[in-house]
Amino acid sequence: MKAVGARLPRYDGLQHVTGQSVYVDDVRVPDMLWAKALRSTVHSAEIKKLDVSKALRVPGVHAVVTHEDVPVNIVGHLAALGVPADEPLLAEHEVRYQGQPIAVVAAETEEIAQEAVNAIEISYEEREPFLDIRKAFDPDVPKVSPSGNLFVYEPYTERRVRKGDIDWAFEKADRIVQGVYRPAAIEHCPTETQVALVVPEATGRLVIYSCTQAMYFSMGVVATHLGVSLNDLKFVGGTVGGGFGGKVDTAAETISALLAIKAKRPVKWRWTREEEFLCSSVRATWHVEIADAVTKDGWILGRRTLTLHDAGAYTRFSSYGATKHAFHLGGAYTIPNLSFNAYVIWSNHVPTTAMRGFGVTSVSFAVELHMTRIATVLGIDPWELRLKNASRVGDTAPTRVVLKDPSAVPTIQAAAQAAGVELASEYRAMTNAPRKGKTLPRHLVDQLGAWRDNGGR
Amino acid sequence: MSLIINGAEYELASPPLTSLLNVLREEVGLLSPKAGCQQGGCGTCTVLIDGEPRRACLTPLGAIEGAAITTVEGLGDPRNLSPVQAAFHEHYAAQCGFCTPGMMMAATGLLARRPDATRDDVLEALAGHFCRCTGYVKIVDAVLSAAAGRVDTTRPEPEAEPGEPSVVIPGSPA
Repeated sequence: MKAVGARLPRYDGLQHVTGQSVYVDDVRVPDMLWAKALRSTVHSAEIKKLDVSKALRVPGVHAVVTHEDVPVNIVGHLAALGVPADEPLLAEHEVRYQGQPIAVVAAETEEIAQEAVNAIEISYEEREPFLDIRKAFDPDVPKVSPSGNLFVYEPYTERRVRKGDIDWAFEKADRIVQGVYRPAAIEHCPTETQVALVVPEATGRLVIYSCTQAMYFSMGVVATHLGVSLNDLKFVGGTVGGGFGGKVDTAAETISALLAIKAKRPVKWRWTREEEFLCSSVRATWHVEIADAVTKDGWILGRRTLTLHDAGAYTRFSSYGATKHAFHLGGAYTIPNLSFNAYVIWSNHVPTTAMRGFGVTSVSFAVELHMTRIATVLGIDPWELRLKNASRVGDTAPTRVVLKDPSAVPTIQAAAQAAGVELASEYRAMTNAPRKGKTLPRHLVDQLGAWRDNGGR
Repeated sequence: MSLIINGAEYELASPPLTSLLNVLREEVGLLSPKAGCQQGGCGTCTVLIDGEPRRACLTPLGAIEGAAITTVEGLGDPRNLSPVQAAFHEHYAAQCGFCTPGMMMAATGLLARRPDATRDDVLEALAGHFCRCTGYVKIVDAVLSAAAGRVDTTRPEPEAEPGEPSVVIPGSPA
């Protein structure tokens, strides 16, 4: 434990302050071409015409790629985990979000590439977009996917977490406290925009300079689209100009690789700030409804939740994020009777993705506001309400995992101390030790079963 | 067109409307100024033009004929850091490092103009420089420490001494 609490120099500190850190845009190779993309200008449309012939005739253009050039166009970021592939690398007959890439050009300069993009002929037949996930269950709303607007967690249309007897809890409750919480979308906005540089080697191997945060995810996604094996790709990463989750998506690598293969030259694709804001993935909008069955002395007997997660136009990592969200909806608290439903909803927004605390910051936002709401409704001190219900050794999580070292009690005590709040002596003295006496009311006895059956371990 | 860049004279072939950022990165090969937005919004391309911090992405070459340009490469090297560089290193003010060159050039310009800069001066000088990692506190601390001369540029590596964490959560095994 020599490193914890010690002031250690950053391994890359000196190169950062001397301007020597090499980001993707700083890599210099000879004969490099620049890429620019034709992106959808509408939220939802059939593509009626796509003609790139004029772009190919612009002097200085070396390659134009469309979906026809992609060996495996439709891939899912989590296909390796069995999540159905649903996202085309380049749009085929339709576009599902504004900013979706349709065709990409490699040329001698960024200006020539943009001129060629402007020369591409495209026409759309616009469709009514679906943009408000709260209307997902309404009849006659526009369908984002032919199968509808709901990602399906086989066999359900939602991620379900069930524990205990939720009906008993709501029958026994003194009060039902309800709330709706809606964390908004957030753009990661790294100072380094999405960028990739792909250099074809004489052997056919591709050297891919990537700003990815997720090297092996990205390698898998590129290899799948290109229909090649991993040893046909040499990924170079590790210096990222900010990511915050947005560079978990494979944004620029695959398309740059296709252009490099077709042009037989190195290709760099550097997104503009506008593209970063308008076309790169964002943290999702969430809609979280919570109803808690509570006793007048501040015990939470049961919790029902309904979550809507805006995946945007394609699934990417959303099914994973909403699963993680659903498992955490108890927060740092032990509630014996639970019914959580979390839906992943496709919309005609830009696809959403990981961002710091993927899936769980929405829980913290909703649950902590809700805990304060319960305290306000019951007229109980919010610190004491939290400490009373805080998870203890031997308690079981919503997934029935037995907690061995939960940190909720000391964390809340430390927060109270930092906030200058004087807790009552019984709450100051509270530890995360197994429940007994006043901290083990009848309704929490059964949830200790798994722990007790295991000899208190 | 000619410029004096980090003390050396350059004859440049780029057309007069080329941005200084592209001249530095693509013609001269100085890569510390970054293309964060190329519209003057983020500050990552900031360099000193005749001592003043300016956005290289918004400055056409033709407007600054003969000017003296300073980039991070002209401040110091790992064995001989400038006070601002040493302070950024000591205070962990560079996390991903992408905004760092622009921040350091703005700070260097400020301290040349106002060696006794106050916290308000620092905030003013760094306004419009975006950092998405640090939350700015460490950056402001670094500039203030460079202003106060509290930086030892001869020993830039922070000491690697194990110590007690400053925040201990009650009941934590740490």
